[in-house]
Amino acid sequence: MAAALLLDELVEEILLRIPPSDPARLLDAALVCKRWCCIVAAAGFRRRFRERHRMPPLLGFLGSIPVADHSCVSRFVPTSSFRTPGADHSGWYALYSGHGRVLFFKVPWGHDHRKNRLLVWDPITDERRELPPLSWRPYPSTSSWNAVVLCAATAGGGCNHLDCHRGPFLVVFVGTAGNRILACVYSSEAAAWSEPTFMLEPDRIHTLIYKTQALAGNALYLQYYVANKVLKFDLMTREISVIRLPPEGSKRHIMLMGTEDGRLGFATLYESRLHLWSREVGPNGDARWAQSRVIELATMLPDCAFSSSPITSPHLTGCVDSAGLIFMRTLAGNFTLDLTSGQIKKDGDHGFVKDVVPFMSFCTPELRAAHTGGYGADDSSA
Amino acid sequence: MASAGSGDEKAAAAAMITLISSDNEKFEVTEATATLSQTIRHMIEDGCTDGGVPLPNVTSKILARVIEYCKKHATAAAGEEGSSSSFSDAAFLEVDRAFLEELEEFDDAFLEVDRATLFDLILAANYLDIKGLLNLTCQKVADSVKGKTPEQIREMYNIVNDLTPEEEAEIRRETQWAFE
Repeated sequence: MAAALLLDELVEEILLRIPPSDPARLLDAALVCKRWCCIVAAAGFRRRFRERHRMPPLLGFLGSIPVADHSCVSRFVPTSSFRTPGADHSGWYALYSGHGRVLFFKVPWGHDHRKNRLLVWDPITDERRELPPLSWRPYPSTSSWNAVVLCAATAGGGCNHLDCHRGPFLVVFVGTAGNRILACVYSSEAAAWSEPTFMLEPDRIHTLIYKTQALAGNALYLQYYVANKVLKFDLMTREISVIRLPPEGSKRHIMLMGTEDGRLGFATLYESRLHLWSREVGPNGDARWAQSRVIELATMLPDCAFSSSPITSPHLTGCVDSAGLIFMRTLAGNFTLDLTSGQIKKDGDHGFVKDVVPFMSFCTPELRAAHTGGYGADDSSA
Repeated sequence: MASAGSGDEKAAAAAMITLISSDNEKFEVTEATATLSQTIRHMIEDGCTDGGVPLPNVTSKILARVIEYCKKHATAAAGEEGSSSSFSDAAFLEVDRAFLEELEEFDDAFLEVDRATLFDLILAANYLDIKGLLNLTCQKVADSVKGKTPEQIREMYNIVNDLTPEEEAEIRRETQWAFE
C-alpha cells in the first residue's frame, strides 16, 4: 500500500498532526516528494496548522552571557528542533519577546537617550530592525525604564497572534524621570516614535524593572521594584495610570501575569506554595484583588529544590501567561509549571544564570521553492 | 447519540443495522455502534438502511476492524452520557478514569497493525466519516515520521521522490535552520 493512494486532503490530515514544537519534522515531510512539499507550503495548510494547534509552541529561550567590558552576548538556545541562523547578538541584551519577535537593548544603556539603541528581531525570518533613538524633551534621560514589543493589532483584540510576526509591530517604552512617568510608542509602519505621554507621580518615585510586565486586555502593566502598585499603560488611549497591589503582593517578589480572560494577575511564592491572584473589575469600575489559586509545590518538586535561605529558595524567573506556563529556578534545577495541566517538568540546563526570555512562535515554512517550481498547488486563501 | 431523540431509548439502542462490505460480507451492528459513522448516521436519518448499508469502498477485513473500534467507543460514549448526571460522585469519576485508561490501551493495541492496514483504516475512517478513528490513525502516521529523514519516510510509505536535486537544494537553502 503506497501513501500515493491517499487523497491530498488525507495527507494534509496526517501532516496537520505533526507537533508544532517539531518544525524540522514538517520540513522533512516537505522534502519527501513534490506533492507533500506543495501541501506543506500551501498558505491554507499553514493557516490550518496554526489554527489547529492554537498555542504557539516554545521554540527556545534567549539568555544573556556576560562578557568583558560590561557587555554581553544574547544567545538563542533552542528547546525544539527550530534553529535560527542568527542565534547570537553580541552587545545586545534580550529584554522581551512577544508575538513572534524579540526586543533587545544595546549594552551599556546610558543616561543620554540619543545614544541608546533598541533592536527588534524576528528569529524565524532573521529580520532585524534597529529603532531610531528616543528623543523626547525636556527629559532627555530616564532613571528606570522597561519596554515591550507587540503586534500592532493588539489593542482592540483584532489579531489572534498566530502569525502576526510578519505584520506591523509596536514597541512601548515606559520610563521614570524625576517625578514623572513617560511613555512612548514606536510604530513599525510610521518608522518613528510617537510624542510621549506623561503622568505626574504624586507618591515617591519607584524603580521600574526589566522583564516584569504583563499584557492583559488592552493594557500593558509594568512592575516596580518593591512597591505596592503597578503601572498601567492603556494601549487604546495611551494613558498611564497606577494600580494598587494587595498587601500580599507588595512585600514579596511577585510576577505579573495576564489571565486568560484579559485581566491582570500575579503569581508569588510563599514557602513551598505558589499563590495566584487576579484583579476583578466590577461593572461600576470598582476593582478588587482575589486569590484565585494556591498550588503546593512541595509534592511536585524534589526536596532538594527547597532551601531555608531566601537567596537559594525557589524563584520565579518568568512566565508565558497566554500559555499558562511559569518558569522557576530552584537548587534542583530549572522547572516549568503548566498551570492548565498542573504538571511540572524539569527543563534542560540552558546554561544561563540570569532570567531568560522564552520565545514562542509557530514556524511553518513558506517554501517559496514550492511555488516557483511550476507545480504549486497553493490554495492561496490566506 | 442518535437514539436519544426517539423517546424510546431502549428500543432504539437495540435496533440493528446491517453493513455490507465490498466483498459482500454482512455485519450486524447496533445503531449506537453504526452511528459513530456520520455517513451511516445520515443514511439512517434519511431512512435508507432497509436491506442493509452497502459499503463498496470497505473490505470485510477492514470493516471488521472499524466495527471493533466503533463498538468500543460507542460504549464509551454511552458511559459518558450515563455518568454526566452524577459527575460529582467520586466513585463515578474513578470509574470514568479507569474506563478512559482502558480506552487508551484499546486504542494503542488497535493501532498495532501494518502500514497497509493503517492506510486502509484512514481511507475507511474518512469515507465513513468517523472523526475519532481518523484522528487516531492520522496521528499514528504523523508520529511515525518523527526523527526520520525524507528518504526513510519515502521507504516507509513507498513514495517516489520526484523533487529534482535543484528543488531539494532550494528548499534546504530556504530553511537552513533545520539542518544544523
